[in-house]
Amino acid sequence: MILDAHGHLGPWPDFLIPDGSADGMIGLMDRLGIDAMGISHLLAVGPAAEEGNRLAFAAAERYPGRFGVWQVYNPHQRNRLTEQGVWGVKLHPDVHQCALDDRRYDPVWELGLPVLAHGQTDSPWSDPERFVTVARRHPHVPLLLGHTGLWPYGFARAAELVRDHPNLYLEICGSKMTGRWIARLAGLAGADRVVYGSDACFLDLRMGFGRVALAPLDPADRALVQGGNLARILGGDLS
Amino acid sequence: MPGLIVDAHRLIGPVPFDDLPEDPRPEMDRLGVHRAYVTHTLSLYSDARAGNEALAVLDDPRLVPVPVLLPQPFEPVPDWDVPMVRLCPVRHRFELTGPTTLRWLAELGITAAIDFDETSPGQLLTLARELPGQRVLLLNPGYRRLRAIAELMAEIPNLWLEIGTVNTQRGVEWLAGHFGAQRLVFGTGAPVMDDCGPRFLLDHLDLPESDIALIASGGGLL
Repeated sequence: MILDAHGHLGPWPDFLIPDGSADGMIGLMDRLGIDAMGISHLLAVGPAAEEGNRLAFAAAERYPGRFGVWQVYNPHQRNRLTEQGVWGVKLHPDVHQCALDDRRYDPVWELGLPVLAHGQTDSPWSDPERFVTVARRHPHVPLLLGHTGLWPYGFARAAELVRDHPNLYLEICGSKMTGRWIARLAGLAGADRVVYGSDACFLDLRMGFGRVALAPLDPADRALVQGGNLARILGGDLS
Repeated sequence: MPGLIVDAHRLIGPVPFDDLPEDPRPEMDRLGVHRAYVTHTLSLYSDARAGNEALAVLDDPRLVPVPVLLPQPFEPVPDWDVPMVRLCPVRHRFELTGPTTLRWLAELGITAAIDFDETSPGQLLTLARELPGQRVLLLNPGYRRLRAIAELMAEIPNLWLEIGTVNTQRGVEWLAGHFGAQRLVFGTGAPVMDDCGPRFLLDHLDLPESDIALIASGGGLL
């Protein structure tokens, strides 16, 4: 089973996304054999969490079983969260300008669902060290370190930081990631701790998927990264 | 899968900030890339002349040398027999549209590869005005400046685009639809940049086979 942990729908203000549609995403997923993708709507990541989440749920309803929803939580808007019919919660500490270990995110951790958070090495909001702080406080919450810290100079450190915290995972999407680095991360942190995500439609689904498909990984490790690990994290709840 | 796959943007040699393969050929073999236009890392991270000399002795038809041009007013224009040179005006701190560079490019009469981070839309427009016949391959255009790139592609008919970093959803198809596949060139920037994703994308573009073959083999440029 191939699962994409990190997807989006919709437009983003500072650059052109030629196709941010759900239909376009499903078309590419079908072509590549991707069973399901976890999505948040970019409107929810941006200024309107509640309305953006509604759009994500609507897309998931339109394509049953193909989109799982990462409901965005905005700590300033303190929007409603649900425990049912979602993959978990998406956090973007940098866009929301609220550090990942800020107590204003406590309602998210109390929910106990998996969390995907933007991670960015040296960011005051989402440096991987903040993921460790949260992982210590909430060892039973699966937490995906988005982009493995985004910048290549921080990848090895991110792998080192997650290694001793079994609830932390390296999610690998990002424009600076390489197939070679994916194989290295599997070696450094263990293939069972590396999770495929594409960041499509923000990024092109084929680039992100292809990076894993052609990475120098053995078949067993590739299967873990491409979906085995996420299926385990989600515990079979792929609704 | 396209018949001939040419990576228009590849590095050979060591880099100071990572442990990366110095020889691109094993990875090219693994990914089915038949030929690569290569610049030596010494030219980027040490001495342009030393890197260019290292390129000159490669003697492998799969690796096409792309030496780095470092225009200097007190030196003669090099008489390189190469199809393309690379310019790094930011890294090497010279003016892309200064009189020496323009004179050297005019005399050489070959394609100039320039990283988008090493120049600006304004400089590229000036270069095109000063040397309208100059062919330019824009490396690493990225995905965040498609609007600016589209304006450049519309204004500069001799501008080609490397697609390895055109990484937003269906960005390559969008560009092909507006400017034609003949203006797009497969390239990666590996091993610093990723080659797996762009190589996979090439096999999965929603374009006619003939367009994909054209992009894979260097667009209308190489």
